[in-house]
This record gives sequence, C-alpha cells and structure tokens, in this order.
Amino acid sequence: MAIPKLPAGVQDVLPEESRCLDLIAERLRRKFDENGYESVASATLEYFSAYSEIRNALPEERLFKLADLNGRLLVLRPDATLAISRIAATKLSQGQNRLCYFTSKFDLQGGGEISNREILQAGVERLGESGAFSDAQTIAFAIECLKTAGLGDFVIDLGHVGYFKGVLEECGLSSEDGELLRRQINRKDGENAERILKKAGASAAAVNSVLALPALFGGAEVLERARALTQNARAQSAIAHLQEVDSLLSRMGYANYVSYDLGAVRRLSYYSGIVFSGLVRGLGAPVLSGGRYDDLADDFGKHIPAVGFALGLKRILIALERQGNLPARARLDAVIVCEKGAEEVGYREALRLADAGKRVKLLASYYGEADLSQTEAKERFKATRKGVEKL
Amino acid sequence: MIYFAVGKGRIAEKCADLLARCGVDAAPLKEETRKLVLCDRAGKYGFFLVKPADVPTYVEAGVADLGIVGKDTLLEENREIYELLDLRLGECRLCLAGFPERKDVLTNPHLRVATKYVNTARRVFEARGEQTEIIPLHGSIELAPVTGLADVIFDVVETGSTLKANGLVVLEEVYTGITARLVANKVSLKLKSREILPLVAALKEVVQ
Repeated sequence: MAIPKLPAGVQDVLPEESRCLDLIAERLRRKFDENGYESVASATLEYFSAYSEIRNALPEERLFKLADLNGRLLVLRPDATLAISRIAATKLSQGQNRLCYFTSKFDLQGGGEISNREILQAGVERLGESGAFSDAQTIAFAIECLKTAGLGDFVIDLGHVGYFKGVLEECGLSSEDGELLRRQINRKDGENAERILKKAGASAAAVNSVLALPALFGGAEVLERARALTQNARAQSAIAHLQEVDSLLSRMGYANYVSYDLGAVRRLSYYSGIVFSGLVRGLGAPVLSGGRYDDLADDFGKHIPAVGFALGLKRILIALERQGNLPARARLDAVIVCEKGAEEVGYREALRLADAGKRVKLLASYYGEADLSQTEAKERFKATRKGVEKL
Repeated sequence: MIYFAVGKGRIAEKCADLLARCGVDAAPLKEETRKLVLCDRAGKYGFFLVKPADVPTYVEAGVADLGIVGKDTLLEENREIYELLDLRLGECRLCLAGFPERKDVLTNPHLRVATKYVNTARRVFEARGEQTEIIPLHGSIELAPVTGLADVIFDVVETGSTLKANGLVVLEEVYTGITARLVANKVSLKLKSREILPLVAALKEVVQ
C-alpha cells in the first residue's frame, strides 16, 4: 500500500505539540476573556467575490479556491481581520466591539516550510475606536499576550504607514513606481531606491528623506530624527501620533518593550495608521503582527475605525522551544487497573475521582503491571472484587 | 554572537579581506578546511560556508544573522530579507546573449531562453508581455545556443570572454551593477542592532 502523504505546507499536529499549542491557546483565551474580548468564529468558506472586489484585495494567487455546486468560486478563509471586519460591518449592530478569535488562515503560496499554508492564529480586534490611547492599549495588550504565552526577550517594533505615504507624496511618483520604491525601502535597499527616485526626477529634498528611511529604526529617538527629515503634513502627523503613543506606553510602563522602524513598509494593505510586529530573539520571523485599519470596513458598507493584531501560535511554540520554555507536562493524578470481573468497581472509582477534579486513566487488567509502571501518574490503584487498593 | 552565511568560493576570500579591514577576525574563511561552521578566535563571529544560492535561505530563516551574496542570487531568490549594503565586489551584468542573427525563426516563433536564473528570466519577460520558453540549466549555459537547444541565454557576464570564444555576443544588458551585497535577517537587525550596526557602518566606510 502506498504511504499516504500530505500536501506541501500543511502538517498533522501530533499529541505532544498539540498539548503545547492547546496550552498556549488556553492561556491566551483566558487573557482575552479577562480583558473583555468576545470570541467570534468566521466561516471557513467564503465567496471569492467578497474579497476580490475590495480596494486592498489580497493577491489572487494566494487564495485557496474551490468551486461551489452552482459554479461560484469559493475561498478558504484568507485573512482573519478581513473576515471580522466584514462581520462587524454587516452583522453587528453596536458600533464598538472588542473581538477575539482562534482560527486558521490559508495561504496558497505559503508552501515550502511546514505549516505555512494553513496558519494557526489567535488575535484580537478593537472595532469602533480610535486615538493614541486605543493604539497604546493595543500594543500594551500585545506585550501582555506574549508574556502570557510564556515568551521572554522580545520587542514590539512599531511604525506608521502615514510616514512613508507622506514622504512618498513629496516624490511625485506614479503608483507603480511608488510600489517599486516601497519594495526597495522595505528591503532597506537604499541604492535601488535612489535609482528609482532619480529616474522619476524627484527633488533632492524628497530623495534625501526617502533614502533616510532604511536607517530610521531603533529607540524612540528615531522619531525625532524622522520629524526633522520632512515637512510633509501627513508624515509630520504620523510622527506626532507615534510620539503620543510612545509617551503613553512609557507612562504605562512598557518603554523597554518597544522599538521603532519607519522604514518597515509592508505591501500597501488595509493598514492606515500604526503598524507593528512582535520580534523574538532566536526566531527569524515575527511572532505577532498588527496595526490600525480605519478604512477597511468601508468596503463592507460601514465606516469602523479599528485596530488589532494576530499571534502566530506555531511560531510562538517554536520560539518557546528555542528559549527552553516549553510548557511542562502535568502528570495524571491517578491510574486505576481493573481486575477481570471488577470493571464496575474501577469505573465507579474513576468517576468519583474525576468528579473530585482529579485526572484519571482507567486500564483493563490485561495491560498488566508492565504497562502500569510506564503510565506516569501520581498514584496507582488496583480495582478488585473487594474494592480499590493503592499500589 | 553574530552568524554570517558566506557563499563558498571566489567571493569568500574577497569577503574575508573586506571583513578583516573592518576589524572582524575573518581568518577562518581563508583556511583550508572541510568544516562548514567556523568561528573567530574571540568567539564574536561565526561563519557558515554555503552554496551561494543558499545564502538568502539561511538569512531569511534567521539561522544566519548576516549574509554576503551576489545581487543575481538575490534577484533570483526574492526572499524576505534586508539588503543593507553594496560591497562592490565581483561586479558583473545579467545579460541576454546569443548569436548576432537568430536562427530557425519560422519553427521557433517564441524565444527559447536558457538560464540558471529561471525566476528572474520569467519575471523579465512577463513584465514585457513576451511569451518565451525558459530552459533551466545548471552550468555551461553558453552551450545552449551553440547546440541549438536555445535561441539565447540569460546569464551573468563578467568579461565576456566565454561568450566570445563561442561566437556569442551580448544582445542586451538587463541588469547592470550585479555585485556582492550584505544582507541581514529582519529580526536579527533589530534585536542584535548593537552588534550589527557598527559593523555595517565600518563596512560602508571601507567600500566607499
């Protein structure tokens, strides 16, 4: 018989890894609940058209597609934030909502690395609120969530899409050249950025401020440097906003957890304000990413300013393993072996212990003493006709 | 500790000189050894010697914090990494080359392009809206037009002597300024900036 295989980029989660993922999820779930986030679950299948016609449509080649019985094109949930924004705009009556989710998103092109096409995420969205304090609270909560997950030695790297967009306005580039420039800046490739700008005939001042972008990262002092680099109103207001958020985070006690990068300009997506990612020592990719997306819900028929973030559970687990902080396995409280003919005795004892909040495993006698000694439990019992005796 | 991924071969030696001028003890890179992981004496830097095309992979995964790799490889691999500096080493061009006159035009309406740079070639021709047949090869690319396997080649050209020896000419310079680049992992640059940034500044001084 041929060995059954899995497609590239997906994995089966085996018991030990699954236990750890569950534990992380459980810690986060409690954290979300304690902070007033309500859980939602969006449908796994959606119409392709729901997301292909919005302004910041996801690239078509990254969507997992299937055909419905009537021939309409369906997609597997490509993005949790998009789904939640759609739900909030079309199905929730009140304006303000704090929502959270645990779900998988699917990325057709995430192949190669295992678990890159089905990505397990936990996340929160704060819908219907804006302002620096809302942003600061979200970042502070992101930090708390990473701590809750068990991680140490991490920072939240913070930027603002308004700064790049403002600086870009000064250059007078076409939208294609703008996108090309963004890619170079996001790569911190100043030289190719310079070539694009010179070809487009941007002013010396504009070239200067764009070329400074790749080096605009570090502590809060970066914001002062950034402010001095441009006169653009949009860029200036982005810096003013980041400074307000920075001051709030310092006063809230999180100054040591935050760094800044104004040259981090991801694909011009639905983000409209602050953007941030969680970086952990020892892991080459972010474990968390998020930002403000005030105009996204407009595409679903309602204006809802919002901010949120998602945590990659698999990446968090990898980071925990590398930091030597995997959640320990809790031993069973008791294991009970039943002698033949005394099954009901053992069963009743197992029920009684379980009712008392103990974790119990019941074994039939023919597993024998050898199996019993391999089962890790704090206490072992034997059930006989006469009753239950401790071993 | 800062880990470097360096392409084995010609460029590794040149990089060793460059790094030495920045105060990095890169002597291990020049040793005759079969070891793949090398460390400096002070234990500040580690070096992985890898196949050039694999440098972006090591850096993207964060196994190496920094890497030194040709721009041609970066174009081909198109990874999520930072490109920090042009080290101005080993300059060459990515060119289309072939015979001055195309042959067998009637039976070959689409251009057949032999190359090691499959992704880059595909992107170049796609952007032009030209339909081509890409023929992936791993070496001796010049042989393809000579034997009629392809019409043209898309490859790096340094001096052009191999082309000339086979009767081929550069038809078009698609990318000029293909040189060695310093690349960095996106997380390492932030979390190890205290070690990495001074090194980048020193390298910048040296290459300029």
